[in-house]
Amino acid sequence: MPARRLKKTPAHLEITAFINLIVVLVPFLLSVSVFTHLAVIDLSLPAQSNDQVQKLDPNKPLKLEVIVRAKYVEVNDKHGGRIIDPPIPNLASGPDAKTLAAAIQQIKLKFPQHDDASVLAESEVPYDYLVQVMDAVRAGHQVQGAKVVSTDYFPNISVGDAPVIRQ
Amino acid sequence: MKPLTPIQKRAERRNRNQSMVDMNLVSLIDVFTILIFFLMSNVGVETISSTRAVQLPESMSQKAPKETVMVVVTATEILVGGKPVASVAEALRVDGDLIQSLKAELDVEASREVILKENVGDSKRVTIMGDKDIPYRLLRKVMFTAARAGFTDVSFAVRQRFEP
Repeated sequence: MPARRLKKTPAHLEITAFINLIVVLVPFLLSVSVFTHLAVIDLSLPAQSNDQVQKLDPNKPLKLEVIVRAKYVEVNDKHGGRIIDPPIPNLASGPDAKTLAAAIQQIKLKFPQHDDASVLAESEVPYDYLVQVMDAVRAGHQVQGAKVVSTDYFPNISVGDAPVIRQ
Repeated sequence: MKPLTPIQKRAERRNRNQSMVDMNLVSLIDVFTILIFFLMSNVGVETISSTRAVQLPESMSQKAPKETVMVVVTATEILVGGKPVASVAEALRVDGDLIQSLKAELDVEASREVILKENVGDSKRVTIMGDKDIPYRLLRKVMFTAARAGFTDVSFAVRQRFEP
């Protein structure tokens, strides 16, 4: 005798409510989500020490100063004068970050223990130039295969005014 | 008309009883569900949201932003915590480096009590979101004013760039 089987109707899921929820949620989350990631660059402000005379620290022979001007970028040692001579001229889009990064890398090789640098800007220099220069001074980035490896050069950056050139 | 055979009758009955709507939504739901999880994991990571009015400069920095007092400097206005406090033109006209209205607003922010213990260290930090075209002169004024109001740790907000 053949077994009696229960007649099964194919199961129907009641998913209308679920779809409603998803349809509402997807546009909402899409509109809320941000696709540009933000980051910050930390500064160490020269703590209002304009009137104090800074002492020469014999353990830190270098006092790296990168001066951002409208036309070029100077790389100086505060005690020893220009390191890169002639200064690096700016490109049309901004400072020549690649050349600067190469120069900074050479300096870092000579002073591996050194972490501090000052970025000094002229008053009319755009903020963007300043950030680009800070980026080049702060760390270097090498592409290795699919990854970008970054090495710190002079991560402790302070920002200040560029010395005015006397005509 | 010929009477239907039992098999035909059964087929007809089944047809009649079936609900009409039979859309195949499985793949759609799959996609949506994955999208939802993706978006949910993305949302909420950002502690500060960027405004369209500010074109942030790009940087390779990977440091995540913290929840701090936020000074936004657009091309036309200076805002603290979303509230406009001074116009850029006005700030540029000021002699000296102190922007009075910004100082007043930052003083209010500085006097806020710190409620969460882990935020104590951050109470003296300020994040400047500056438009990339503002001159250094203005930035200097903002930083100076922030330092005067007691915010000694300054960080610049930037848009993250992934290729050097």
